[in-house]
Amino acid sequence: MVLAIKAEGIYKTFRSGWRGKRKKEVLKGIDLQIEQGEIFGILGPNGAGKTTLLSILSTLLLPDRGKVQILGIDGLRDGHRIRERVNISSGNANFLWSLTVQENLHFYGMLYGLAGKAREEKVRALISLFNLEEHRDVPFDRLSTGMKQRLSLAKSLLNDPEVLFLDEPTVGLDPSVSIWIRDQIRSIQKEKGMTVLLTTHNMREAEHLCNRIAFLKSGEILTAGTAETLKRMVRMGESVRIEFKGKISEEELLRTDGVINYSLMENLCEVIVDDGEKRLGPLIALFAQSGAQIKKVSLGQTDLEDVFIEFAKEIDSDMGLCV
Amino acid sequence: MSSSNLQRKLIQIWAFVFKNWIMTKRNVFSLFEILFWPVVGFLSVGLLTNFLKLDPNMSGFILIGIISMSVTQVCQIDVAYVLLYDLWSKSMKHTFIAPVYPFQLIFGSWLIGVFRSFIVFLLLSILSRLAFGFDFLRPGIGPLGLFLLGLFLISALVGMTVCILVLLFGYKADVAAWSISSLMALICGIYYPISILPYPLPEIARAIPLTYFLEYFRTFYGFEGETKALLGWGFGLTAFYLMIEALLFKAVLYRARKNGVLIKLSE
Repeated sequence: MVLAIKAEGIYKTFRSGWRGKRKKEVLKGIDLQIEQGEIFGILGPNGAGKTTLLSILSTLLLPDRGKVQILGIDGLRDGHRIRERVNISSGNANFLWSLTVQENLHFYGMLYGLAGKAREEKVRALISLFNLEEHRDVPFDRLSTGMKQRLSLAKSLLNDPEVLFLDEPTVGLDPSVSIWIRDQIRSIQKEKGMTVLLTTHNMREAEHLCNRIAFLKSGEILTAGTAETLKRMVRMGESVRIEFKGKISEEELLRTDGVINYSLMENLCEVIVDDGEKRLGPLIALFAQSGAQIKKVSLGQTDLEDVFIEFAKEIDSDMGLCV
Repeated sequence: MSSSNLQRKLIQIWAFVFKNWIMTKRNVFSLFEILFWPVVGFLSVGLLTNFLKLDPNMSGFILIGIISMSVTQVCQIDVAYVLLYDLWSKSMKHTFIAPVYPFQLIFGSWLIGVFRSFIVFLLLSILSRLAFGFDFLRPGIGPLGLFLLGLFLISALVGMTVCILVLLFGYKADVAAWSISSLMALICGIYYPISILPYPLPEIARAIPLTYFLEYFRTFYGFEGETKALLGWGFGLTAFYLMIEALLFKAVLYRARKNGVLIKLSE
């Protein structure tokens, strides 16, 4: 297993006020291992510490404690070497306001040491990739939010980074632009094989893009894994909704293999099972045996958001808190 | 260092020339910085010397001061702009996530500052010849070149100070970009010899290299300097302060990475 990102025991506290007396502990011992070529998502609500963690891993911020290794290079001692091989794109992108799209890309291209012709070609290719042709001569401050975001992503690919950090890449964008941006991220990552670390509070985005996901809350990683693993871990499974007429035996229902939970209303039963497709047949059979007349059956997947809420609940109840 | 590595480093320096140049082109106020304020200031002072019927050398004393002040102000502001533009555009983190060293940032912006302030110098020296009969070339090309080099290096010092303050205090520091050079003009004897300043200002002035460069250039117009080896003091102090500021810049950048200033200034 070749690691692109390795973080051990990362702590960060921000101080403010007179002589730094006001403290805010943002990260509390983060451990993270991300393989090369992976798209890894850090999910969490606002204020969870996602941007702080990403800033530390991208060498913009130094931790109070802990170790960071990016592509095998010590992030605390040799940040300059890391910066040559990584790049960042943030939601709510900000660039030099009076430089045009093209000029901004040329400027940042120069910062990565790209020379004349190679830079020209790179800038042209990125402008084309992100459909910015019509806006190439538009100053940054006259671009729409979506265009600014495209420019931000284009800028982040100037040096063909081996590790790409994306901080809330679709925040504030309308759904169609968000979907387009996600598709671009997916296809670029597939083509170049780069490692992507993405922060988001959008569960669907994480589920759609990421190979693995970590839940971050109040500066701590609650858990990490694939979306499917996470769902299984909290035993949230999938829901089978059955509309019916008649009566069923609730005892029999609970005894059925794979049933985790159920809710029963007048003519509607929602059953949570470990594997929807596998348990659908036995469930229908049970309803039939009970003499109920099935009107409609639908199979729905548990949303990652529900999993996150479930994890947050578990952690808070461990700490004696209420959600 | 391999040639490709050197080329890469030079391109990174050139990036800051490119950035400041484009920002200058787009910013109507930069035209005021180069043309309006220096010319208006110069003409007002020059006309005052005419009104006071000062002898040519005394007029020269004052005109050297006002031209030096204009050159320093224009050059230092370009060095300061390298971070101020990022500060105002909230794009600081994109500069510092790129693999650039602080010296590249300062050197690149200083080059464009030298170019712009040299234009100011040419403009004002031609005006001084035409309007007030003052010959800036009297000391010869060599001494003039050394004098200008001194002014350009001092500008780098002032600009670096502003950058350091920006990394320390963020938005509160941008006022320094315009005030430090004016304060320096007051202390270093732009319009008068430092001997007339009340204690302890002359002692402070002797710690500022601009004082020595002004005295050096004025010796060619009949004014004796307070010490010998004026250029030695001027360049010696400048080199000393450049080293101190290079270390300070590194330290405040480390601090900015530690306390999150780079992120805060990009939000």
